[in-house]
Amino acid sequence: MVTVAETLLDGHCPTGPIANRWDQRKRDLKLVAPNNKRKYTIIVVGTGLAGGSAAASLAELGYNVLSFCLQDTPRRAHSIAAQGGINAAKNYQNDGDSVWRLFYDTVKGGEWRARESNVYRLASVSTSIIDQCVAQGVPFAREYGGTLTNRSFGGAQVSRTFYCGGQTGQQLLLGAYQAMMRQVDAGGIKVFTRHEMLDVVVVDGIARGIVTRDLVTGKFETFAGDAVVLCTGGYGNAYYLSTMAKACNVTAAWRCHKRGAYFANPCYTQIHPTCIPVSGDHQSKLTLMSESLRNDGRVWVPKNKGETRSPDQIPEADRDYYLERRYPSYGNLAPRDVSSRAAKERCDAGYGVGATGMSVYLDFSKAIQHYGENVIREKYGNLFHMYERITNENPYKVPMRIYPAVHYTMGGLWVDYNLQSNLPGLYVLGEANFSDHGANRLGASALMQGLADGYFVIPYTVGDHIATRKVTPISTDRPEFHAALDAAKSRVQSLLKVNGTKSTEHFHRALGKIMWEYVGMARTEKGLLFAIDAIQKLRDQFWHDLKVVGSGETLNQNLEHAGRVADFLEFSELLARDALHRDESCGGHFREEHQTEEGECQRDDENFSFVSAWEHQGVGAESILHKEPLTFNDAPLGVRSYK
Amino acid sequence: MNHASSANLNLTLKIWRQAGPTAPGELKTYPLTGISPDMSFLEMLDILNEHLIAKGEEPVAFDHDCREGICGTCGVMINGQAHGPDSATTTCQLHMRRFRDGDTIVIEPWHAKAFPIVRDLVVDRSAFDRIIQSGGYVSVNTGNAPDANTTLVPHHVQQDAMRAAACIGCGACVASCKNASAMLFVSAKVSHLANLPQGQGERSKRVLRMVAAMDAEKFGNCTNTGECEAACPAEIKLTNIAQLNREYIKASLFSTE
Amino acid sequence: MTDSTTQSQAGLIDQVGLRWFFRLLSSSIGQKFVMGVTGLLLCGFLVAHLAGNLLLFAGAKPFNEYAHALHAQWELLAVAEAGLLLLFVAHVYLAVATSIGNNQARTGQYVMKQTKVPGRIIGANSWMFASGAVVLAFVILHLIDLRFGLRGDVKYLAESDPEAPFKNTVAVLNNPISRLVYFIGVVVLGAHLSHGFASAFQSIGLNHPKYMPLIKLIGKIFAVVIAVGFASIVVIVPGLKR
Repeated sequence: MVTVAETLLDGHCPTGPIANRWDQRKRDLKLVAPNNKRKYTIIVVGTGLAGGSAAASLAELGYNVLSFCLQDTPRRAHSIAAQGGINAAKNYQNDGDSVWRLFYDTVKGGEWRARESNVYRLASVSTSIIDQCVAQGVPFAREYGGTLTNRSFGGAQVSRTFYCGGQTGQQLLLGAYQAMMRQVDAGGIKVFTRHEMLDVVVVDGIARGIVTRDLVTGKFETFAGDAVVLCTGGYGNAYYLSTMAKACNVTAAWRCHKRGAYFANPCYTQIHPTCIPVSGDHQSKLTLMSESLRNDGRVWVPKNKGETRSPDQIPEADRDYYLERRYPSYGNLAPRDVSSRAAKERCDAGYGVGATGMSVYLDFSKAIQHYGENVIREKYGNLFHMYERITNENPYKVPMRIYPAVHYTMGGLWVDYNLQSNLPGLYVLGEANFSDHGANRLGASALMQGLADGYFVIPYTVGDHIATRKVTPISTDRPEFHAALDAAKSRVQSLLKVNGTKSTEHFHRALGKIMWEYVGMARTEKGLLFAIDAIQKLRDQFWHDLKVVGSGETLNQNLEHAGRVADFLEFSELLARDALHRDESCGGHFREEHQTEEGECQRDDENFSFVSAWEHQGVGAESILHKEPLTFNDAPLGVRSYK
Repeated sequence: MNHASSANLNLTLKIWRQAGPTAPGELKTYPLTGISPDMSFLEMLDILNEHLIAKGEEPVAFDHDCREGICGTCGVMINGQAHGPDSATTTCQLHMRRFRDGDTIVIEPWHAKAFPIVRDLVVDRSAFDRIIQSGGYVSVNTGNAPDANTTLVPHHVQQDAMRAAACIGCGACVASCKNASAMLFVSAKVSHLANLPQGQGERSKRVLRMVAAMDAEKFGNCTNTGECEAACPAEIKLTNIAQLNREYIKASLFSTE
Repeated sequence: MTDSTTQSQAGLIDQVGLRWFFRLLSSSIGQKFVMGVTGLLLCGFLVAHLAGNLLLFAGAKPFNEYAHALHAQWELLAVAEAGLLLLFVAHVYLAVATSIGNNQARTGQYVMKQTKVPGRIIGANSWMFASGAVVLAFVILHLIDLRFGLRGDVKYLAESDPEAPFKNTVAVLNNPISRLVYFIGVVVLGAHLSHGFASAFQSIGLNHPKYMPLIKLIGKIFAVVIAVGFASIVVIVPGLKR
């Protein structure tokens, strides 16, 4: 049985009417005077939407910012790959949107497993994000007259998604990157590219610095600061095949976890319904086709098992538009988890299409007929182009084939309302934290959260930590820094010393298979127990049979990868244990034991309306569970129906 | 679908190997068999690296990340063409069905003085960051912005800006240019911001500073060969370079910056 | 070009407020701009020069009269020649300077290099420097032959001779080697123009989606007209007896 901590975890949310809580908190937060800010150094790890916007905003305030990323430039963080858009409660379309409605949709979309206060703040700052990005020169799509235009995304009945073609993430990230580079020029930010964070340094219980490895020279370094802001993204690559960039990893977050930061809700993983299906064993990554495609594409499978006709030869009567059939009011725009499970259900039942039978059609013929090919091309041209490059099929002529794939992870390091982890001085932003999406994230909300955290939350809250705790500068000569440095070095050395026979890639693929099979879209107690055991065995094999060629003193991508896989092998066990413990189904966590007759999630609010925050007790040892109770007053608990 | 390409490929790879920035480099030959035409080019390199690791040889270092054509990390010369033979395609989006059984493929890193080689196929493109740092932004602090609809941006203006803003910063323009010129990259950012009302305030200063930064990085000059445009995976057009020239001349002649 | 030269001139340059001008001239884009402008102005000269020389077909008399009328305005001619020399020197100097910079910008050549421009085999632009060098050599030869009259194998008539312009021209072109060299010279000039004309518009920032196709077409036509016009003189004029 899981050991549960006696005291409940407190998210430190303000009280009072939900609409006033953020204002209330801003009133209570202590400030650092402008001329004092330059005496403080903030370490920001990661340069995606959260990290880039945080680094820029903090430097604008006057802090000295040290920014770290493992890519060759801050502009390449994986936020760049987000395609469809960013939500904001602007109500420019006059279709009944409001901050409250965005808040409600997000809480409902997350199956009432998010913290109400955080979600409300997210919804209310969403409008400022659009203003900020437009001012930076982000070229959001416009109407002919020049006003901003919107499209719809899954899980909403209003059009509130702002977009830049199919490259919204890219444009938002470049906006944040440019804001960052402006501060680099002004001397407020120092950027360390191709640097990987390998540990956090905790001094007297407060996060005071990090250990990094220069990926080009292999040099280990320590950096001291007055706060550490972690913006290192999600852990979807635990599944090996995912839509994440190859370098996405859990290492920074996991090392913080091992130093005492709680990891919350790791089992909430989002499987995105519209990805290009796996084509063979060589597959190294999966490619997402934006959810925005479901605005115009219709999802279907043949009505007859073993259908052999090509899609254009199958008459309407023999097609099953299963999303429209099962969810008439949301239809093809049913939320991601719901759509993914529906696709899996059809394929498992034998109706899947394509060579492997593990895909469904996403058909644009109706939209092309209706609007003409040019309109569709303008909206989705780059996505169609990408699809054709990968599959050698022309989606203007034949329906796309899609299948779900791991795409986003709602879980992450536990943070309070101020986005501070239980380790004082360690702040966690964006996908790396757990706070705003509950058990499932709605489309176009990740960009919103990353930028909300970076532009509009951390600039307020980080000063409170410095002012309240009277943080004073610290030297990297302290023993805590030396100890963390030595630990990081020896871990890398131990990877080089195993000298076995199997490559990192081998272990990563093996882990991915276990995760996808038993900890994927549908989970069972038996499967999870099996997975935990299998992961432990694989981890053991890894440390006995790993083969890393080359040295630690030059660019060695193989060694980098090995370090990340080593951490995934530890982390995945926690993910599976969390999934095992959460004996209910909700959003991105579907336990087959808990489903309605129609195959929908069956939540257990009485027993599981809490955040599971895990405290590390050593690798292989059972973690301690801290519960943060969740209460819902403004978006009362309900049934998540999209019928 | 394409039955002609369904048979596996046997290839001869000639890959530039260089241990470090100052080490000498050379092309090394690696035979590779049984490559599925459905593989991406980088998956083919993954397979090669697995073979090399199994033999105890150091794998080929190459930059890559998102593998969906947007991050701009990947990029090598494939048979003398930046990102390979397909237009509007990054290396990661190139698929092996583009090659024939028995082909020899020469793979080299980007060559430019401003892009020093780090190792094998990996180069240092930080010069691009320094150019953006010199002025490739709109100076607006967080929290300062007026309502997004205050300034109207007509559809076609937004489209022009968007097309220029689509640059992924991969460096193929520099790599494919005989002069290793970065004009296409610089012009994309200058055009993007010069086209939008938000970018007007710093329009002159931006182009003057960015061109000065570009020249300081020792990129070559533009001789209008159009190789950059042809190699660009994001389809950035040469007209942007003309706009860059125009903006720069205008700023030099008339601006008080 | 370099900081040290601009610094040594700092006093004067700043007094007259021309720092921006030297900054422009030392920048990559400024240099291309000057290349483009001088190139286009030289194109203008080519038009005038060809128009004048086509009078050769009208016979010796009109041509001689034109030439003498031109030379009678020697003050203006001196200014024009000085201007032309300046344009030419600037154009050539920048070609050499940017080419050196361009070569230095690339470290090492690719083992294999192929164009990605559809339909290109070797574009006119990839040998702009080479064709420019040929044109330069040709122009120098042409000046020796007909501006300064320094060829040893040609018996020049004195400039004051009313028949000198026509007869000297024919005398130079009567040499078969000269004819071949002149022919090659004007054809290479045409090739240089076929890229250079449109390219100059690009360099001075006048590439617009609405006009560029037309400019490109005009550039090609211009190149052909200039090359064919001069070549016709080279081929036909020595045969003209009067």
